[in-house]
Amino acid sequence: MTSNVVGVFADPQSALTAAGNLKGAGFGIPELMSPVPIEGVEAVLGKKKSAIKNFTFFGGLIGGIAGFALAAGTAVLYPHPVGGRPIITMPPYLIITYELAILFGILFTVVGFLVSSRLPAIRNRVYLPEAAVDKFVVTVPYDDDDHFKRAEAILSNAGAEQIRQLGEED
Amino acid sequence: MVAETNNLGYTDIHEDVVRSIVKTGPKYYIALATAGGTTLLCFFFPWFYQLYYGIGAAGMNHPGVWGTYLASFIFWIGLSHSGTLLSCVLHLTNSSWRKAMYRSAEAMTLFSLVVAATYVMVHVGRPWFIHWALPYPNQMELWPNFRSPLMFDVMAITTYITGSTIFIYMGSIPDFAAVRDRTSGWRNTMYTLLSLGWRGTDKEWHRLHWAYTFLAVLIIPLAVSVHSIVSWDFAMSIVPALHQTIFAPYFVVGAIYSGTAGIVTVMFVLRKYMGFERYITKLHFDNLGKLLLVLSLLWTYINAVELFTSWYSGTSEEYEAVGFKLFGFYAPLYWEMILFCAVAPLLMFSTRFRTSFMPMLILSIVINIGMYTERFLIIATSLPRQYLPDAWGVYVPSAVEVSIMVGSFALFTTLFLVFVKIFPSVSMYEVKETMATPKLGSVAPASGSPA
Amino acid sequence: MSLFSRFMDGWRKYRKPGYYDEFDYHWTMAIDLDKCTGCQACMTACQAENNIPIVGEEELARGREIQWIRVERYWEGEYPNAKLSFIPIMCQHCDSAPCETVCPVSATYHNQDGLNTQIYNRCIGTRSCAVYCPYEVRYFNYYDHHWDSPLEQQLNPDVTVRGKGVMEKCTFCIQRIREAKDHAKDDGRRRVQDGEVQPACVQTCPSKALVFGDRKDSENEVSVAINDPRKYRVLDELNTDSSVFYLKKVDA
Repeated sequence: MTSNVVGVFADPQSALTAAGNLKGAGFGIPELMSPVPIEGVEAVLGKKKSAIKNFTFFGGLIGGIAGFALAAGTAVLYPHPVGGRPIITMPPYLIITYELAILFGILFTVVGFLVSSRLPAIRNRVYLPEAAVDKFVVTVPYDDDDHFKRAEAILSNAGAEQIRQLGEED
Repeated sequence: MVAETNNLGYTDIHEDVVRSIVKTGPKYYIALATAGGTTLLCFFFPWFYQLYYGIGAAGMNHPGVWGTYLASFIFWIGLSHSGTLLSCVLHLTNSSWRKAMYRSAEAMTLFSLVVAATYVMVHVGRPWFIHWALPYPNQMELWPNFRSPLMFDVMAITTYITGSTIFIYMGSIPDFAAVRDRTSGWRNTMYTLLSLGWRGTDKEWHRLHWAYTFLAVLIIPLAVSVHSIVSWDFAMSIVPALHQTIFAPYFVVGAIYSGTAGIVTVMFVLRKYMGFERYITKLHFDNLGKLLLVLSLLWTYINAVELFTSWYSGTSEEYEAVGFKLFGFYAPLYWEMILFCAVAPLLMFSTRFRTSFMPMLILSIVINIGMYTERFLIIATSLPRQYLPDAWGVYVPSAVEVSIMVGSFALFTTLFLVFVKIFPSVSMYEVKETMATPKLGSVAPASGSPA
Repeated sequence: MSLFSRFMDGWRKYRKPGYYDEFDYHWTMAIDLDKCTGCQACMTACQAENNIPIVGEEELARGREIQWIRVERYWEGEYPNAKLSFIPIMCQHCDSAPCETVCPVSATYHNQDGLNTQIYNRCIGTRSCAVYCPYEVRYFNYYDHHWDSPLEQQLNPDVTVRGKGVMEKCTFCIQRIREAKDHAKDDGRRRVQDGEVQPACVQTCPSKALVFGDRKDSENEVSVAINDPRKYRVLDELNTDSSVFYLKKVDA
């Protein structure tokens, strides 16, 4: 069980400062919890990259191919002449392709979001309900008492309202 | 920009939204019972009667084989077009006035789509075989006919329902998490499951932002394609007055037009009866009014083009169809539509009109009456006037059809009433973003006691 | 043959417009309007042959009659110089049928006899084929129709009785075509001969205005009729490529 130092802040700016200082002091990358997305996180904690765009792109691509295969494939499996059109009729099948490309794009984006943000959470993680209302919370794991003291000092210097100690299993 | 909400703090919006979910007054139950009862009485009973008796319970006849069921279907699909579409456009253009209203607008999209999908079942002759229109491997080895515009509809509307459900859900995850911590009992269980364990970490916000943006980018072309496809149900036929290239843009503009008017109606109701006066303000009505005005001018233009094209074609069938529309049996309805959708909205040139709530409510309802008429006329004036004069006729809706139409509004209201008690109907985190951040040490005492 | 060339062969075959195979037969009707007297015997014969329900006075007034073939009447001029002309209209069995493309469940398609068929079992009743048909010859069953006793005794056992919620239309008496093809097969003959099949309307026409047969053989009576200089097709400008030809001397 890892323990975490948790600092509660009333405004995003001091939370960011604290997070930056913790990172600078070699605590690894601290986690920020906030009721709204904080601007400027990337400047302090480093640039974030996510794989979601790849999911969206390949989802759309797979969907497009699947859409055309569905329309053309089923027509070839059971060919029956309709309205004097060829069995593989391009304009309508392209519409099916288009719709399925979007459908798969959407579904894959959701999968990409869930995978890259590690949701749904299976086990309990460090969380403070205040973070959903109006508090900004910085958490960072620590190894021993010495670590804890240093982290506590950094947090309170940055103006934390409250400093707590939480385990992952809480 | 949102001047009036700037005085409010993070806790205010939180309390207001949680209160809108957990505190339920008798008025709400009365409204829900009325809406639910009307749905049962006016929608489901006549429908069951029709299922038993056959489509003959409706007023459709030989030349007019399509009727108000399809008109209502287009109407509801159209109404669905502003919620998610508008929300996506405003999200991508970073318009902050969207934030207080988009959740309920998206819910409108979702429930109109549900009602529209129900109308498909009401419309077809043998709804108990409707699954044959879905592509699934079966023992008959028969697949649907993907050349049919109706199949495009099936694919597009399925995608659209899936897409807008996901879009509204994605945007609500942080709010579910916020509400989760404030509720108990079955609500807590439900919100715990719905919020997926959202904590609001910087990483989660980053992922949510990008996923949401990609969804918005995907849904805009989807929404445009959905109503174009609905228009092709008509435009791909060779019926005079329906077989027109302008139909796809015509339907899309009409859809956004009636959808925006629908949003104005819903905003008014939410503001007045759900206690969101502080978040839904004159500014929203002003902006929506400007949008409506532009759309009404576009709509008028497309109507003029439609008439011009028919006249320019120089064929007797087109002349007859246009003549029947303008001066025939349904001429009073046509001129009512022009009055309601092209003339009345010109009032919105005045800023005073746009920023007063009651007139905007009345106008928004008037516009939607006009738009329903438009959809009805598209079907009722063209099908009975086709090529062979011997097969001409007049289609008049029956009592069952009118009742089901009234019932569909009750069905929509019922679904919406259930929604406001389950979903946070104003997006908390995005309204919070528009506010000033809380002052240091203003609320809780700073006592650092390790747990 | 390599996989790629097999794929390309299939692609060329299925991308060919029109029909991917030739028809076995190409059933066609020719109607000589100069011979038609407008007696409506064809309508009655059709009603009897195809189990077409009688909807009753009330439903007729609401425009829900079912007539697979109808004789349209057009008046020109004012009395006493009025001129009346007739035209029997039934399903034109178009080779480029607008109604076929729109059916989401393929309940209507083109069969190997060149007929536009309607499969009642498969129909889900969207009625879009009736909208797309420019000839207005598709009729919908708004109710379950029944035949009062003893009328149910005269129902044709070779034809189904359609339930509520399905579309129906002229089939060119497909049950008779099937029977003739079966006979031809039993006799060891390869093809149905000219005059062997007659739909009910053709059989009953007192003035022999209606001619029916296979267009593929140029010797057949119908092939001769459709090469008549008086021939035209109704709404030919819509490119439906219909299989019913009308013969009429047009007054210049």
